[in-house]
Amino acid sequence: MNAQKLQKRLSKRFGENVKAEIKDGCIVLSGSLTEWEDIIEACSMSVDKKGKMHVVNDIELQGVEIPAMRVPDINDDYLEGEKPDVLIIGGGISGASIARELSKWDIDILLVEKEADLALQASGRNDGEVHPGVDLSKGTLKQHYVRLGNEMYGRVCEELNVPFRRCGQYAGFCQSWLKPIVRLFALQRKYIAGIKDTKVVSSKELRRREPELNPDFRFALYNPSSGVVCPYGLTIAYAENAVTNGARVELNTAVLGMEVEDGEIKSVLTNRGRIYPKIVINAAGVFAEEIAKMANDRFYSIHPRRGTNSILDKKSGYLIKSIASIKKLELHSHTKGGGILHTIHDNILVGPDAVETYEKENVATNQDSINKVFAKQKNTAAKLTERDIITYFTGVRAPTFEEDFVIEKGRKTKNLIHCAGIQSPGLTTAPAVALDIEKMTIEELSKFRKVSRNESYNPYRKGIPVLREMSPEKRAEMIAQNPDYGIIICRCEEISKGEIIDALKSPICVPTLDGIKKRVRPGMGRCQGGFCSPLVTKIIADFLKEPISEVRKSSNKSVIVYGPTKGAEE
Amino acid sequence: MKTYDVVVIGGGPAGLAAAIAAKREGASTLLIEREARLGGILKQCIHDGFGLVRFFEKLSGPEYAERFIDEFNELKIKALTLTFVTEIRKADIGFDIRVVNKNGVEDIKAGSIVLATGCRERTAKQVFIHGTRPAGIFTAGTAQHFTNLLGQMPTKKCVILGSGDIGLIMARRLTLEGAEVVGVYEAKPTPSGLTRNIHQCLNDYNIPLYLSHTVTRVFGDDRLTGVEISQVDENMNPIENTGKIVECDALILSVGLIPENELAESLNVELDPKTKGPVCDAELMTSVEGVFSCGNALHVNDLVDYVSESGELAGRSAAKFSGQSRELIDIKAGKGLLCLVPQRLNLKSDNKETVIYFRSRAVINNCRLTLTVDGQKVFEKKYAFLRPPEMERLMFDFNNLNLNKSSKVQFEIEEGTA
Repeated sequence: MNAQKLQKRLSKRFGENVKAEIKDGCIVLSGSLTEWEDIIEACSMSVDKKGKMHVVNDIELQGVEIPAMRVPDINDDYLEGEKPDVLIIGGGISGASIARELSKWDIDILLVEKEADLALQASGRNDGEVHPGVDLSKGTLKQHYVRLGNEMYGRVCEELNVPFRRCGQYAGFCQSWLKPIVRLFALQRKYIAGIKDTKVVSSKELRRREPELNPDFRFALYNPSSGVVCPYGLTIAYAENAVTNGARVELNTAVLGMEVEDGEIKSVLTNRGRIYPKIVINAAGVFAEEIAKMANDRFYSIHPRRGTNSILDKKSGYLIKSIASIKKLELHSHTKGGGILHTIHDNILVGPDAVETYEKENVATNQDSINKVFAKQKNTAAKLTERDIITYFTGVRAPTFEEDFVIEKGRKTKNLIHCAGIQSPGLTTAPAVALDIEKMTIEELSKFRKVSRNESYNPYRKGIPVLREMSPEKRAEMIAQNPDYGIIICRCEEISKGEIIDALKSPICVPTLDGIKKRVRPGMGRCQGGFCSPLVTKIIADFLKEPISEVRKSSNKSVIVYGPTKGAEE
Repeated sequence: MKTYDVVVIGGGPAGLAAAIAAKREGASTLLIEREARLGGILKQCIHDGFGLVRFFEKLSGPEYAERFIDEFNELKIKALTLTFVTEIRKADIGFDIRVVNKNGVEDIKAGSIVLATGCRERTAKQVFIHGTRPAGIFTAGTAQHFTNLLGQMPTKKCVILGSGDIGLIMARRLTLEGAEVVGVYEAKPTPSGLTRNIHQCLNDYNIPLYLSHTVTRVFGDDRLTGVEISQVDENMNPIENTGKIVECDALILSVGLIPENELAESLNVELDPKTKGPVCDAELMTSVEGVFSCGNALHVNDLVDYVSESGELAGRSAAKFSGQSRELIDIKAGKGLLCLVPQRLNLKSDNKETVIYFRSRAVINNCRLTLTVDGQKVFEKKYAFLRPPEMERLMFDFNNLNLNKSSKVQFEIEEGTA
């Protein structure tokens, strides 16, 4: 990387407003611009495609105050003086899977998550696709881990008792003349990227398998190894298994600062007290850069990228059994229009799009995103309609400007490990990445103390029974043991009171409406909790032996009701 | 397997009336209800105004339900409460119904079925409300459940979107409980609820109603902190730069009801895209022989009195059902009609005197409902006004029309009284 050459290119584009320099092995950009898109452009054009240097963005966005990280409103000393061997920052798929793999060892693991539940940001706000990695270039970490991760899914999901379906993925093409080129691409993938199962299927075969897809598809590229999983379900399962094996998970706990001396983190300040860990793992998603900065080890920048998905009524489940999207010849590969996916829970998911933003926690939705994605995806399946939407949500990805993961030990700070820059296919890669982070952690920890195996480690997790999927005989047997399994609370998803109480008794109890919804699905159906939310609120209150007004939707401040009406009893 | 002549699914006003009527016809009858108590949504409707048509009295919802529950109990009709139907299958004879309850899984045989499954509320996402996802966004029925059944205040200061009846009722109810209702905002240029509710629930309490306004965005990370309200154009699309922020802690939605017909669909019952309920003949039999529909599952009613009436008819018809073949012709809902029930007529039925329920597409003053058979006008009735929120009912005798299977029967609304 030649800093002068880069500066020349930047000056040509942005005048005197952007300054580039190589500092501490990073490409640091500073200055000031008025548009966020320009900052993205400046940083993206500064990426060093060959070396290990990352772009660090210090360009000020003029006239805009970038919102500070939201912090839970709890302040106490609950964790004061804790001395875990490993502190994991972030309860997404990365943090949770790392905690689980580390729980194979006889060490003290503490995972902190600032939100009221696990997987509340990107890990819970994606499409749940387990990717084949066919589109990734060789040499990237993403590409290295995607095959490894994809191949692990069957076993991991079996161990963690999480439903997973290898349903395959189609990219449909309308131009016959592209067929030889796509065939060559499949061959290239096979021999260069090691993806051996990608193949081209004929339009006739495609129609036989997926009759509702665009009849103009002349052929499709088919990836049989693609699958679907519930992304937050898997995150929760990983964390629960970690907890069962001795790890601790503390929600509503945000890292606020660090004390670093001689290239070593001495202590970590949270809203719940100061913690003294031996090793810190940075799995903080969009805030990984802030954590790196606190640890005096900031050598990359995260630029948030929003994506919105829509969920359709199960009635439209017939549209597709797998995953598909139309492939168009587009100049800008960054303009993503997502795809159509039959989720593990048998809904149809449409999306996501990709929109750059400076707001790391802005998950507010916009109709514009939905309209654009639907306009494109109606070319994948014509019967797709916005009328079938039952809900939609936005997540924020956490890419670096190199658009690759950062999985390595701290460059300047010794007892720090980064698991950063995680975006798609981060869900797919998580099982494989966790194994490598485990190795790095144990290696580092061994410098402090002797590390031995956790003799009682059990990789198997017992999930909450799903009554509606059972045979009548098995269901009756379960109800005989616990009559609450026979009382249906959520009519749309057919969830019983027994399953809700099981969720409240699960290893990581999150006694909120959203917590229960994420674990056993009341409120996920077409009435969106209209009928069941008062009932679930009451069940939670009874379980906690608290007034109904103490139950929350999610965070501590997300009050559902304000207390008794005139003359009503508590 | 236990066998009944008639199984009624749903224990609200439609289901209760159906079960009572079926039993009175001498049929062995079972009612299945998923909640612990009979009465359906009436349990939470503690306001008055129920039963004016039927009992010439102003009753509260629970009082109205109680009259039917008393009769139901006197007739010793069997009810399975806290029981959920997971599956219905058409069998060689009748239907096999699978239910789940505290006692386990049970299969029940029914000669005929009455679907009285009610309706559900349209949600915030179905009207494309965008922004964050805080606590404090309720459908009116959910807010009503919290307030009236759990005795809990869902808001201190709220905005109500949609002028459907439950929204209007909740505006008054929450005001009485000491909450501030900033206003009721309706995207349409005319109210969706009954005129009497506009007067009794809004005007009497000085709650403003804003027509041609909608909520375009919600704010708040934890609990709702405010909503953006915009004016809408004639196509109900928000007009740019008319948005203003209204601070509130709750958004209560009363933006429409959708008949619940997932069980009907599982039986391949044909649905009417206008009513979103099953296409029925004058006996309220659906396209699947032996399956009957009534109440708000059939179409959204304005008054419970009509819900009970359709329940009785469906129950009676289900009890009489013996599998005789039908010869059906369409009753078309033509110009000016939003929807019309029944949609078909069975020429082989011995009783063709039929209750017709309909709604107009728009507010129309001085107009006529007309019936044409093969293009010939055979009937007309004058109306001083018709309003979509108010369902109209009339009795009509098709006996003297000499209909045959190629007859084209169509109702429509003509403007003017001449």
